Amino acid sequence: MVLLQLDPFLNELTDMYKRNTEKGSVWVTLKRSSMKSKAARNKVKNVDELEHCCLVRATDGKKTISTMITPKDQQRFQSSYALVLKAHMKALKKRERKDKKKAADGDKKEGEAKKSKKSDAAPKPAQ
Amino acid sequence: MVYIASWEEFVERSIQLFRADPQSSRYLMKYRHCDGKLVLKVTDNRECLKFKTDQAQDVKKMEKLNNIFFTLMARGPDADISEVSGKEQAEQLASKKGRGRRQ
Repeated sequence: MVLLQLDPFLNELTDMYKRNTEKGSVWVTLKRSSMKSKAARNKVKNVDELEHCCLVRATDGKKTISTMITPKDQQRFQSSYALVLKAHMKALKKRERKDKKKAADGDKKEGEAKKSKKSDAAPKPAQ
Repeated sequence: MVYIASWEEFVERSIQLFRADPQSSRYLMKYRHCDGKLVLKVTDNRECLKFKTDQAQDVKKMEKLNNIFFTLMARGPDADISEVSGKEQAEQLASKKGRGRRQ
């Protein structure tokens, strides 16, 4: 298990996603953790003093990387992490529901279809 | 292993689960590019909630959920999340750093 700093972790995570494009999975786990061992935690005794850090772990089955996010880094990590995810999760299906009818109309309707995905009980009266 | 069909229900129950036991709850995400599948799992080692999808629109929802969990974990389970966008505004008010993202 490799514990990294924030930026190297993001780089390694990006590489992991790239490596596992053809086959394989990428698991990312998020857990709250104080950095102390159980004994040290018991010594503290005052629950309010507990540091709230976020442990992020990522693995592709072969290699595991991890990092600790402090509340200060949280915003920064959040946005960088979101970017990494958006960049790599391209294999998921787009909403195809309205495509048959709206092929002529194109993108506009697709955008609408995404918003109105729940209200598919009321299709557009273009029949 | 419970697969939950509705996104809203998954979010609500997983936040409840986390708030009930922040020390042992964890949030896991598995992505398979070759199959085009995304699975989310929240567990406190007693109960387990899962959500799976192959829809691109769920990536955005998942990102919002990521933000919610980051906030809960960093600030403590009693943090006010207000659906994250509300949280961001509240943060900007509090931080006074003037990132200029308000409008």
